[in-house]
Amino acid sequence: MKKEWAGTTYGSAWMHKWLVRMLRYMDVRILYTFVAVFLIPVCLLVNPSAGIIYRYFRKRLGYGPLKSALMTYRNHCLFGQVVIDKFAMYAGKRFSIEVEGYEHFQELAGKEESFVILSSHIGNYEIAGYTLKEERKALNALVFFGEKDSVMANRARLFAGTNTKMIAIRPDMGHLFEIDQAILGGEIVSMPADRLFGSQKNLQLPFLGATADFPYGPFGIATLRSLDVLAIHVMKQKSRTYRIYVTPLQYNKEAPRKEQIIELADKYVAEVERMVKRYPTQWYNYFEFWSVEHKKDGKNE
Amino acid sequence: MEELILELKEEIIRVLNLEDLTPEDIDPNAPLFGAGGLGLDSIDVLELIVLLEKRYGIRLASAAEGKTIFTSVGSIAQFVSENRKK
Repeated sequence: MKKEWAGTTYGSAWMHKWLVRMLRYMDVRILYTFVAVFLIPVCLLVNPSAGIIYRYFRKRLGYGPLKSALMTYRNHCLFGQVVIDKFAMYAGKRFSIEVEGYEHFQELAGKEESFVILSSHIGNYEIAGYTLKEERKALNALVFFGEKDSVMANRARLFAGTNTKMIAIRPDMGHLFEIDQAILGGEIVSMPADRLFGSQKNLQLPFLGATADFPYGPFGIATLRSLDVLAIHVMKQKSRTYRIYVTPLQYNKEAPRKEQIIELADKYVAEVERMVKRYPTQWYNYFEFWSVEHKKDGKNE
Repeated sequence: MEELILELKEEIIRVLNLEDLTPEDIDPNAPLFGAGGLGLDSIDVLELIVLLEKRYGIRLASAAEGKTIFTSVGSIAQFVSENRKK
């Protein structure tokens, strides 16, 4: 059985508070260096994520052993940087943001109907929530119920006074009603489309040359009421610059429902693949993403 | 009521793509979620919410209401017969 994502940011509330305080006065690059020199080497030695990411570079991207090892280090450094950036945002720091395809977001925001945003754990999606503010439509971001109170409090503080709301995915079905209400109200619903949380229903799709499990939920929800869909990914360019990619995902809304779901999911996965090939070191799914069953019978190799 | 239960079973099979099942396979009193019943997943609730809205003109107000209604096919049928607008 596939392991469900724990859905929480690493570290204690005290650590988070301390980080925010420090980042009010400190340049993020000082912390980047500290993390790269002292924390990442230790993390690579003790954390299974090193092996997982090494295999991602070797098997999925076809890199050689040395390049894969170097890229694994780089990937962990970049992940450290995006976490620091997230807390730097909580501390009031701002980043330079470039947006590609913003017109697609504006076009859908101008319509009466609701639309869906799909994202993945690549780059730093949380930055989009603080950047793509929309006065005409409320943005409902799905977040995991188990996230730390300190992170949720920081998010709530940044979202205060904006049109962004958070819907916590809970073990009961309350969040599904909230999603439905948001859709009926013509609001935006933003969902991660690369991890199973809440529902365990999944779609097995080819991704980077092997089969991977993607959640059924985001694609099922979008097609249920024939909503327009945007893929939004926020990728780190330089230490203080991010680039947001807004890509519309078209699917045949007249086709049988099952086909709509598959077409939409295929298009989303193709978009994630495009991003990952462009920014290979910004893949942050630190678990066995590709199906174990397929690995066993050799189909995943 | 029997007719409505059969209709609901057919609709549930259709919207949830339960092609391996026939209406006769579904016990109207069996739980919809978890083991020992239809084994539906939480995300399927949204499909059922939209089914009630589109087919019977019923819009559910809250999760608490949904919890009682989406217990079994029988409980849905009971709710639909009392609240349907179509």
